[in-house]
Amino acid sequence: MYERSDRMKKKFILLSFILCLTLIITGCWNSRELNTLGIATVIGIDWEDEKILVTIEVINPRPVKAMLEAKPADLVLYVQGRGDTIFDALRNISLKFDRRIFVSQNKIFIFGEEFAKKGFINHIDVLQRDHEFRETAYMLVAKEKKATDIMGVHEAVEEILGMYMEDIVENKKFNPKGVDVNLSEYLKYYYDSGRQPILGVVDRKEKNVIKKVDTHEGKKEYELVIEGCSIFNKEKLSGYLNGEETRALNFVRNEVKGGVIEFPTPVKNIDHYSTPTPSVKDSSSTISTLNRDKSVFEIIKSKTKSDVEIENGKFILKTKVKMRGMLGDVTGDIDVSNEEAIKLIEESCSKQVKEEIESTIKKVQKKYKTDVFAFGTLVHRKYPKEWHRISSDWNNIFSQADVQVEVETNIIRTGLVNTSTNKIKGE
Amino acid sequence: MKDNVRISSYQATLLIIAFRIVLAFSHQPAINAPPGNQDNWIMIFLSTIYSIILCVPMLILSNKFRDFTLIEYMKLIYGRTLGKIIGLFYSMVFLLFTIIFVSILVEILDSTMFPETPTWVTASMMLITCIYISYKGLESIGRGAEIFVPLILVVIAVIIILGINVLDFGVFLPILSDSSFKDINMGAIDIGTKFVDILILAMLAPYLDKRENLNKIFIKSLIYSILIVVSMIIVSQAALGIEQAKHANFPFFTFARLINVFEIVHRIESIYVVAWITSNVGKITGYLFFTTVALSQTFRKRENKVYIIPMSIIVFISSVLIKDKRSILAAKEPLNKISLFIALTSIFIIPLIALIVYFFRRDKLKGKTKSN
Repeated sequence: MYERSDRMKKKFILLSFILCLTLIITGCWNSRELNTLGIATVIGIDWEDEKILVTIEVINPRPVKAMLEAKPADLVLYVQGRGDTIFDALRNISLKFDRRIFVSQNKIFIFGEEFAKKGFINHIDVLQRDHEFRETAYMLVAKEKKATDIMGVHEAVEEILGMYMEDIVENKKFNPKGVDVNLSEYLKYYYDSGRQPILGVVDRKEKNVIKKVDTHEGKKEYELVIEGCSIFNKEKLSGYLNGEETRALNFVRNEVKGGVIEFPTPVKNIDHYSTPTPSVKDSSSTISTLNRDKSVFEIIKSKTKSDVEIENGKFILKTKVKMRGMLGDVTGDIDVSNEEAIKLIEESCSKQVKEEIESTIKKVQKKYKTDVFAFGTLVHRKYPKEWHRISSDWNNIFSQADVQVEVETNIIRTGLVNTSTNKIKGE
Repeated sequence: MKDNVRISSYQATLLIIAFRIVLAFSHQPAINAPPGNQDNWIMIFLSTIYSIILCVPMLILSNKFRDFTLIEYMKLIYGRTLGKIIGLFYSMVFLLFTIIFVSILVEILDSTMFPETPTWVTASMMLITCIYISYKGLESIGRGAEIFVPLILVVIAVIIILGINVLDFGVFLPILSDSSFKDINMGAIDIGTKFVDILILAMLAPYLDKRENLNKIFIKSLIYSILIVVSMIIVSQAALGIEQAKHANFPFFTFARLINVFEIVHRIESIYVVAWITSNVGKITGYLFFTTVALSQTFRKRENKVYIIPMSIIVFISSVLIKDKRSILAAKEPLNKISLFIALTSIFIIPLIALIVYFFRRDKLKGKTKSN
């Protein structure tokens, strides 16, 4: 009997102990209520008066009804902090903003051009060290602008800037004229002695104003364009590549997953059973072929094999691109229902890509002298002994290397029609 | 305890595997070991040979004295006084490793999930769980391993599979051209000496249902754990790059943070943390339990349970004191040097001397050996 009551007593003590434990093991110390957080979606970083200026887009939560009626600009707030470091600047925001900044949902970092030019690797340690920041957030450089010039532009279906910028960056899979480099990838490339890092570029451009009913006359409208890429020589911004050059860079780095190539339509009417419509005949006499006749190839699959060789002490950088895809658009006087015509189109497309790649490599070699194509990594893999000798001088060697590019295009589909819209079957 | 407590070979193998992979699951010291480049996976494979060489004396002794734990046969070989000192040394080794593991656990929890929670709370949360399991005894630990270790292995496999699109295996090229023979061997010795879990196996040996399987358990757990460790290290390096992986305090955790499958499966590092806490609790429990077993056998006490609470208090105070003073993962020294010295002494030097002594005293000890 006594034994039983002893056991009950023990169980009671144990239960009370467990109940007391619930007070301390619920994670109260780290609890974050939603109504105390300022959820950041974009973080802009600039230099201003020898201090780091951090600008954050914070979601402005409202009741559902108010959210439905709100304009995009009302859904977010912009808060700023200054400091000697990014962390310091972030904490200083708490001096003027009531909510604690929560960066775990941040999608995009925008670096002002000046900040990127001064070499930001010294300052971004916190982005890797603090567990709240995500390594998957994309990094962009504001071309010829400050990050603050970019933030606040709302021209998309998605109303939160961070969300729609993220979507645009990820559109790279449909259009390789941009790059999608996140924090982790940037650091990976930065530490790789055989390749220099690149980052995406964002620019604010004036829009052709479409006169909607509520548009005020004379008011300028802007949109954000995430096209091209910024090139770094280790930590310092060297310059930019435009959209086409970035596409060529993506080809060399084997990062093209889709997209389109616009190329001059070869002028050859092979099919004797079709004739051009009068409009084609008329326009060909008035507009130069170079400007007029462009066709489009849509990439379904692309594979690049790059290689380096040393011949007579000189490095040769080789790139071989193989593309498969479909004919997306045809203008000009050519009939695609003929095998020979398709071959000509394939050659023209290959030539276009080859020229783009060659000119991009040459531009980077001559103008920036920094190997963003990762040829150095290939030298390291293929000639490891040679690499140890030359690695410190690789950018100079790269800038003087010869370039060989081969492109092979295969059109595997022509869409829903076999003859161009501007042609008529038969005489 | 020995007469009625039994643990199967399968459970023992799982326990040793779990203890061994906890390191790779958390801070992956092998990534920073020489040569510290793309050839580290080769170095880790090579470390298996050094592990076997270093563990041979202890394995021979454990096979000779199948009815005795490490503490007990050291007493038989070295004699009562010296044996007691050595028993105390091993107890302290287990205790020290328990303190280190609790400190690492607290550091990771504080860095990844509970930055504002005081050290004493995280430490006590873990230790209360470990005390409870230790009280339940070896069979419960073995059964726990049977349930939780496969679960942990599944989590590791799932994380690796989900993260496959961020892996770039090109980082492992060129092979063996940036590392010297000396570097690879230095790293392999360093990692080889870190197989301190052989001490647990030496303590487990008399409780095995089939004691003749000791060598099989050792080899199986060594090979399987190395395969798992290598795959985790390869994945971390392939995802983060060689240098960034070296920068990361918890490379596999950082890799798990990169996972994003079709915008649906992402931010799954919490699953990693759950599996990681489970594996750490298992390891801390094992070491805490055998600290008390070692102490009870050193001081000839019948029950080890009397030591569980006092030892836990020591572990709690020490780990809180250490953790409130500094990070033990960032500044790797002097912890690395201390662990290396203790590991070498406990798994190689003392057993080697014991083996030599046994060789000279084998006639006297004949009655004690191999009585299945």
